[in-house]
Amino acid sequence: MAALAVVAAACGDDDAEAGADICDGEITVDTIDAWAHEGAEADAYEDMVDDFNATVGADLGLTVNLTLVPEGQYTDQVNAAAAAGDLPALLDFDGPVLANLAWAGNIVSVEDCISGEVRDNLLPSIVEGGSYEGDLYSVGTFDSGLGLWAYRSALEGVNARIPTGADDAWSTEEFEQILRDLQDAGFERPLDIKIQYGTQGEWMTYGFSPITQSAGSDLIDRETLKAEGVLNSPEVVEALTLFQSWAEDDLIDTESVDDSNFLSGASPLSWVGHWMYNAYLDEVGDDLILLPLPDFGEGTRTGMGSWAWAITSAGADLDADAAWAFIEYAISDDSILKITEVNGAVPATKTALAKNPNFAEGGPLELFVEQLDGAPDIAVPRPITPGYPTVTSEFWTAMDKILLGDDVQATLDAAAKAIDADVDANEGYPSVS
Amino acid sequence: MTVAEAAPPKRRVRRRRISRLKSDARFAWLFLTPGAVLLLLFVIVPFAAAIWFSVTNQRLISPLPTRFVGLDNYREQLGDSLFWTSMWNNFRFAGFVVPVQTGFALALAVMVDQNVRGRVLFRTIFFTPVTVVMAAAATIWVLLFNVNGLVNGLLELITLGSFSPDWLNSTTWAMVAIVVVSIWQGVGFQMVILLAALQDVPVERYEAAAIDGAGTWQQFRHVTLPGIRNALVFVLTVTTILAMRLFDQPTLMPRSPGGPLDTTRTAMVHMVDLGFGRQAIGRGSAVAVIFFLIVLVLTVIQRFFLREEINA
Amino acid sequence: MAVTTATARKVERRRRHERAARPGESTTKRWILYAIMIALAAFFLFPLVYMLASSLKPDNQVLANSQSPEAFLPTPFAGLENYGDAIDRAQVPRVFLNSVIISGLIVGLGLIVNSLFGYALARLQFTGRNILRATIVALIIIPFEALAVPLLFMGAEVGWLDTYQIQILPFIANPLYIFLFYTFFLSIPVSLEEAARIDGAGPLQIFTRVVMPLAKPAYATVAILGFLFSWGQFLWPSMVTRGIEVRPLPVGVGVFKTTPPVSWGDIMAYTVLMTVPLLVIFVVFQRQFVQGVASSGVKG
Repeated sequence: MAALAVVAAACGDDDAEAGADICDGEITVDTIDAWAHEGAEADAYEDMVDDFNATVGADLGLTVNLTLVPEGQYTDQVNAAAAAGDLPALLDFDGPVLANLAWAGNIVSVEDCISGEVRDNLLPSIVEGGSYEGDLYSVGTFDSGLGLWAYRSALEGVNARIPTGADDAWSTEEFEQILRDLQDAGFERPLDIKIQYGTQGEWMTYGFSPITQSAGSDLIDRETLKAEGVLNSPEVVEALTLFQSWAEDDLIDTESVDDSNFLSGASPLSWVGHWMYNAYLDEVGDDLILLPLPDFGEGTRTGMGSWAWAITSAGADLDADAAWAFIEYAISDDSILKITEVNGAVPATKTALAKNPNFAEGGPLELFVEQLDGAPDIAVPRPITPGYPTVTSEFWTAMDKILLGDDVQATLDAAAKAIDADVDANEGYPSVS
Repeated sequence: MTVAEAAPPKRRVRRRRISRLKSDARFAWLFLTPGAVLLLLFVIVPFAAAIWFSVTNQRLISPLPTRFVGLDNYREQLGDSLFWTSMWNNFRFAGFVVPVQTGFALALAVMVDQNVRGRVLFRTIFFTPVTVVMAAAATIWVLLFNVNGLVNGLLELITLGSFSPDWLNSTTWAMVAIVVVSIWQGVGFQMVILLAALQDVPVERYEAAAIDGAGTWQQFRHVTLPGIRNALVFVLTVTTILAMRLFDQPTLMPRSPGGPLDTTRTAMVHMVDLGFGRQAIGRGSAVAVIFFLIVLVLTVIQRFFLREEINA
Repeated sequence: MAVTTATARKVERRRRHERAARPGESTTKRWILYAIMIALAAFFLFPLVYMLASSLKPDNQVLANSQSPEAFLPTPFAGLENYGDAIDRAQVPRVFLNSVIISGLIVGLGLIVNSLFGYALARLQFTGRNILRATIVALIIIPFEALAVPLLFMGAEVGWLDTYQIQILPFIANPLYIFLFYTFFLSIPVSLEEAARIDGAGPLQIFTRVVMPLAKPAYATVAILGFLFSWGQFLWPSMVTRGIEVRPLPVGVGVFKTTPPVSWGDIMAYTVLMTVPLLVIFVVFQRQFVQGVASSGVKG
C-alpha cells in the first residue's frame, strides 16, 4: 500500500506556476538542460546550441545542455516525462501538445520574459499557435505550410484554371472536374494525399482538418471544447462525403506507400506540407507550382503550427531568464534562417522571412506566407485544448475510416461522442490557474 | 530379506523426510526470495496500482486531483462496442493462431526429425526468423504486403493476376497478414521445443507399436502425441497467453494501429490507445483488469483440460 | 523414466533413424519431403533476403522494383551508403552497446533468479507451493503494457529515469521463464537428486552440481527467448530514456521516423544492423542452441 501512496503522490504533484514575474532579468545559473526532437533538423539544433554556448551564452556565463530525443517517439516521451515530473528547463515540442502541458502547469507563460519588440516581429500564426487562454507559452523558430503541389504542365494539359492566391482557390466542383479531367487524360489516381503517413496519426489531422473549417465548421467548439454538432455537423458530413467519393472514384491515390506517385508524375497533384518542397523541386524543377487547398464553401483553409520552444515549470523554478536567453537566441534571424534552410519551413519572424527570397512576393512559396499572415482566418490552428490527444486521435481515426469507405455520418457521430466523453471525464478541462 | 533388516532403514527414511521438509522450506526461501522480491516490486505492486487507477479518473497529465469514480470506467468499457470488437479480434486471432501455429510447429518438428540429409540446415532455416525482433519483422513485412509488393507479385504469378488484395488496408486480409507474420516469426521456437520432446520419446515404444501392427498414423496418434504431452501443454498454454497479448503487429503493420476499421484492434491496442494515446489512464487500466480476468478464466479452463504430468 | 545420458540418447536416435531408413521406404516420399522442406525454407528466408537486398539499394528503389526478381538483388547497387547513413544518424555503436549491456544483464541475472524460483516450485517442499505456482501462471497473463504507467511513476519517484537500471530491473524476474524452468525441472528424473541427497548434499549443492548441468537446454531456451524479448523492447525504453547515453537499439529507429520522405534504405540498413548480430550469434552457436534445446528441452 505504501507503494500505492508513492504512485498517487507522484501523479498529483504538479505545482502550476502562475507565470507572472518569472523573468527578473538576472541569470543566476550556469547550465540549463534542453530537449529537442531528433529529426531532419537535429544537426541544425546542435549547431545552434553550440553557437549559443560559444557566443551569447559565453557572455552570460551560461551553457545549454542539449539532449536529442528521436522524433518518432518524441511526443510520447515528453508526455511520459511530464507525467513523471521529469521535464528539463527548456522544452521543444510539437504545437498541439501545448494546451495539455500549459493546462497541467508543466510549462509557464513567457509573457513576462518576451519584449514587445520581439513579440511584434513574430508571425501572427506563431503567436496564435503558441498561446493558451490568451497568454503566450511557446515560440517556434518556424511555422508550417500546407497546400497543393502540382505539375503546371499537367494542369495546363487539361486546361485547368490556375489559382493565383488563397482568395482564388478552386471550388470543390472545379477541383473535382480537374481531377476527372486528369484521370481521363491518363493519370489513374491524380491526387496524392500522403496516405502512407497514416500511422503517424498527426498528418491526417493536420492535413485534413482544414476541410472541416473550410466547410464552415470545425473539429470542436473552441469555447466548450466539445464536438457534438460541430465535427458531425451537416457541413462537415457533406464535405467529407464528397472527399470520400473522390477516394472511391480513384481520384485520390489511397494506395501510395512513398512519394514516388508525385515524383514520377503519375499523380500530378499532391496535398502535403512545406517539407516536401526541396524533394519536389529537385525532381520536378520549374514545372512545380504551389496552390491553395480547394474551397469547401467558406474559402480555403489550411494547417499551421510546428515545433516550438517553451520554459517548463521546472525551468521557471530554476531560472526563467536563463531559459529565455536561449529562446531569444533561437528566434534570432540568424538561428531561424539556418534551421529553415535545412527543413524548408516558414521562418517564424517577419524580419527573417524577408531575408528568404522563396517567401517574398512572386517567390515560389509566397502562398504559405499569405496563408499564415491570414491566421486564424486562412491558416487555422489545430484546436488548443488539453483534450487534444483525444480530438486528434478521434479525427484521424475517423478520416482513416472514411477513406476506407465507412459511413461518414456514423463515423463522425461516434468521434464526436468520444471527444465529448473525454471532456466530461475531465470536468470540462477547467482553467486551474 | 528379513523383517528385522528392513525395519531400521524405514525409520531412517521417515526421519530424513522430516528433516528434509525443514531444510527444504529453509532453502525454498533462499531460492524464492530474489525472484519474489522482483516480481512483487515490478509486477504485483504496479498491477495493484493499475487496479487502483481503474477505479479513478486518473489522466496521464492533469492538474485535476485524482478522484475515485467507482466502477464507472468498467461500466463504460463493458458498454463500449469498441472494447468488445477488440476482445473479439483477440479471440479471432488466438482461435486461429494457437492451433494452426502449434500444428505447423509439430509438422516442422516431425519433418526435421526424419533421417534426411540436410535436416540440420533445414532446422536452422526454420528457426532463423525467431531471431528477427518483431519491430524489424513488421517493417519488412509491411513492404512485402504492400499492394504492389512482393507477396502480391508472387500471388499474381501463381493465380494469373486474379488475386492481389491490398492486404493491410483490407478488412478481410489485414488480420490474415498479421497471422502470417506472427507464425513466420514464432513457429520456429515452438518447433524446437516440440522437436526436443519428439527425440525423447523412447524408440522402444515405436517398436512395440510397430510389432502390434500400428501404421504411421496410429504410431503418431498413440505413441508420439502422448509422448510429447508436456511439451504440447507448455506450447499451448504459452502460445494462448502470448496470442491474447497481441500488440506489436497490429500497432506496427496497418496504416493506423488496429486498422483498417478496427479489424485488427486487440485488447492491448485498445488499452494503449486509451491509456497513452488519449491519456485516459483510468479507462486504460480498467481494460487491463478486464483483460486479465478474461484471460485468467481462459487459462484456468485450459489447464483444467490440459495439465502437464508431474514427474516428481 | 530411465536416466537418459547424452550417449544413450544418441544411440537411441541413431537406432530410430536406422528404423526410418529401412528398405521399403519409398524414394518418392523422400523427394516429396524435400520439396516441401525447400518450399518452407523459401517461405522462412525470403523476407530476410529481401531485407538484405533492400538495405543495399537507393531509398526510392526499395519499393519500385519489389515485384520483379530484382527485389532479391541489390540492384541498382547503392553500396554501403545506407549503412553509413544509418550508423551516423542513429549513432549505432553507442545504442548497440547499450542494448548489449541491457539485454546481457537482463538475461544473465534472469537465468539465475528464474531458475532458482522454478526449481523451488518444482522440487522443494514448502507450504503455499500450489498457490505460488498458480500465482506464477496468473502473472504470465499480466501484459507489460498494463504496468508501464505505474512503473513510470515509481521510477520517477526514485529518480531512476534515463538510467540502465530502470531498463533492466523490471525484467529480470519473469513469470514465463519461471514457468518454463519449472516445467523443465519437473521432467528431470528425480533419482539423480535423490542420490546426491543421500550423499549428503544440500539443496544448493544439488542445484548447482546436479540440476544446473542437466538443465543446460532449459537455460539455453530461456537465454534465447529472454535475449530476443529484451533486444526488441520498445514501449518501455521509449518512455524512460531520453538521450543517447542509455538509449537501446529499437528506440534509435525513431530517428528515421521523421519529417518525410521516409528513407526506406536507411531503415532497412538499420533493421539489418539490429537483426544480424542475433542471426550471427545464432548461426555460430546453432549447434549448442538447437541441439541443446532439442536434445531434451521441455520433455514429454
